[in-house]
Amino acid sequence: MIVKDAVCPFCGCLCDDIEVEVEDDRVVAVTNACELGTTKFMGEKRLKGPILRDGDEWKDITCDEAIRYAADMLLSAERPLLYGWSGTHGEAQCVGVHMAELVRGVIDNTSSVCHGPSILAIQEVGHPGCTLGVVKNRADLVIYWGSNPIDAHPRHLSRYTRYAEGFFLENAFRDRKVIVVDVRKTETANIADEFVRIKPGGDYAVLSALRAIVQGKTETIPRTVAGVTREQLIRVANLCKSAKFGAVYFGLGLTMTRGKYKNIRNAIELVSELSRHTKFTISAMRGHYNVYGSNEVNTWMTGYPFGIDFSRGIAFYNPGETTAVDVLARKECDAALIVGSDPAAHFPRRCLEHLADIPVVQLDPYPNATTAFCNVQIPVAVTGIDAEGTAYRMDGVPIRTRKVLSTDYLSDREVLSRMYALMQEAQER
Amino acid sequence: MKVTLAMKPAAKSFIPIEAESIVPKNFLAGTDLSVWRGNRELRLDEVFSVSVEGDAGRAEDVEVVLSGETFRLKRVGEYMDGGTITILGDIGMHCGNFMSGGTIEIHGNADGWLGREMAGGAIVCRGDAADYCASGYRGGRKGMIGGTVEVFGRAGDFLAESIAGGTVTVHGDAGDMAGAEMHGGTLVVHGDCRRPGANMKGGSCYVYGTAQGMLPTFRKIGTVQHEGHTLIRFTGDIANRGKGNLFVKDYEYLD
Repeated sequence: MIVKDAVCPFCGCLCDDIEVEVEDDRVVAVTNACELGTTKFMGEKRLKGPILRDGDEWKDITCDEAIRYAADMLLSAERPLLYGWSGTHGEAQCVGVHMAELVRGVIDNTSSVCHGPSILAIQEVGHPGCTLGVVKNRADLVIYWGSNPIDAHPRHLSRYTRYAEGFFLENAFRDRKVIVVDVRKTETANIADEFVRIKPGGDYAVLSALRAIVQGKTETIPRTVAGVTREQLIRVANLCKSAKFGAVYFGLGLTMTRGKYKNIRNAIELVSELSRHTKFTISAMRGHYNVYGSNEVNTWMTGYPFGIDFSRGIAFYNPGETTAVDVLARKECDAALIVGSDPAAHFPRRCLEHLADIPVVQLDPYPNATTAFCNVQIPVAVTGIDAEGTAYRMDGVPIRTRKVLSTDYLSDREVLSRMYALMQEAQER
Repeated sequence: MKVTLAMKPAAKSFIPIEAESIVPKNFLAGTDLSVWRGNRELRLDEVFSVSVEGDAGRAEDVEVVLSGETFRLKRVGEYMDGGTITILGDIGMHCGNFMSGGTIEIHGNADGWLGREMAGGAIVCRGDAADYCASGYRGGRKGMIGGTVEVFGRAGDFLAESIAGGTVTVHGDAGDMAGAEMHGGTLVVHGDCRRPGANMKGGSCYVYGTAQGMLPTFRKIGTVQHEGHTLIRFTGDIANRGKGNLFVKDYEYLD
């Protein structure tokens, strides 16, 4: 059986033109997807059933026992941490927020270690953004700043920018200019019309200089700024000003380097400044396929996009204090539920030391680095493969992922709903 | 009146304790107050050994002394409007948030957001202050609007972010982005700091040491004499409105 128009649950591009061939409840071929997406669809070696740590060994337990363990763990904790959420569908994220409020815990998603700074900047100065379709059809200048789509979002270039047709562009490939700004010559830099190489940590200074140049205050700018010559800065500013429609896409090279959210704020303010001359937009290259969704769900339910502390019964938000890395590094939680992410593969050692000291339950289809820190792991269905649900693309467009095959695994939403029901019962007693 | 609060050793000592009830004014009505450890509400005497000497009729006459492992204590002195709080050791995050009067003295180090959005009064920190000392809140336009903060040790990153009034003095070095988004008030750093005055549009920032990674968008005006120091005067940030004043002893660009 061939499933057409399947949605790829890998990166924030959420490509919705995938063809998946299924035989005997197994994916045997994938068309249109990039290498990353294909690997995810073809993924094997899932965990068979829930497991419980028993000394140095793993013991198989039933799903009911595993769910009961997680509910009891969260209810008895003084400050539980509920982390992850970007690798699951919106319906499961909703249950997660309800759970965090009920147990008065801290709920955080993976944006606190990726585009959280972008959101902090947006909270300061707003977001002049647009959907990917607008860029595809109109943009004659695209800037990739601190992002490398050829490796991380392989189809971004072919679906929306460099290699895409544009309705309002006669010859999109010729008419569309691409500028890449990075600290090293990446694969994407090789296909750019202009490559700006910045010294590490110099993004903020370069953005400030560009803002001043766009305003015509060129004389104050030193001969070089963070390794970039004044001549090149003026050339880039002119390219931007002479474009009909410019789009900036930035990645973790901007959000996770020195200055963090101030870099993004500066980039947004450059875009605002350019919009006095022409039309310019800016958007984040979101990583997980539904990290945008976890920000959306958290925002409409709590008022805040990530790092929400319910310990006092109301939502308190302060990244740097209520975000997972900070909570773990400061040993400020006493239990953790991990859903749809792998913190052990990404967090600093100090965080993992605390994760090893507290009870941890993980919902994930595969054994991963975090498995080593778990007391219980519950395998679930993979959203977009054997579970369906809503995900948000990197530009904020919600797309319903489809089920391409059927398995006996429960979805994240089903497992979490049963956990939540147990907690509600316990609360009523 | 002198209120002494000595922290009792706790089994789960790593869970932070939110103690916004520890404000001099509240002790005029007795010590029947509560604090929160995670999601559990606790009586003040479950966490501290409490002793009270003398009595007082107004907040200005109340002195609160905190001792023990106070580094896990958050929000002490929040919305304080008079009286004195003395912390003999280190203090946790958000000490003196929104305070409008009185004095807080910290003998040890202060964690993040010391004197966040402060409007008046004085904070003296004998040790180091962590990130966001005398700053604003996430997404807020104005940080500190009045009062004084003096740190005798070093300060972390984003010192006095979005400051709009009042005075902040750091005797040691400060971290990255000191006085970012500054639009009023005065910031004085006796040591070195990185990228001072980023995107500032008003106020005055003095660096008696070296401004590292100096931003390219400050216009050099000349030299001035200030408190016995010869300083180079810049205006900026010209990427923004450029009406701020930045004075540095020395500077180096990331060129």
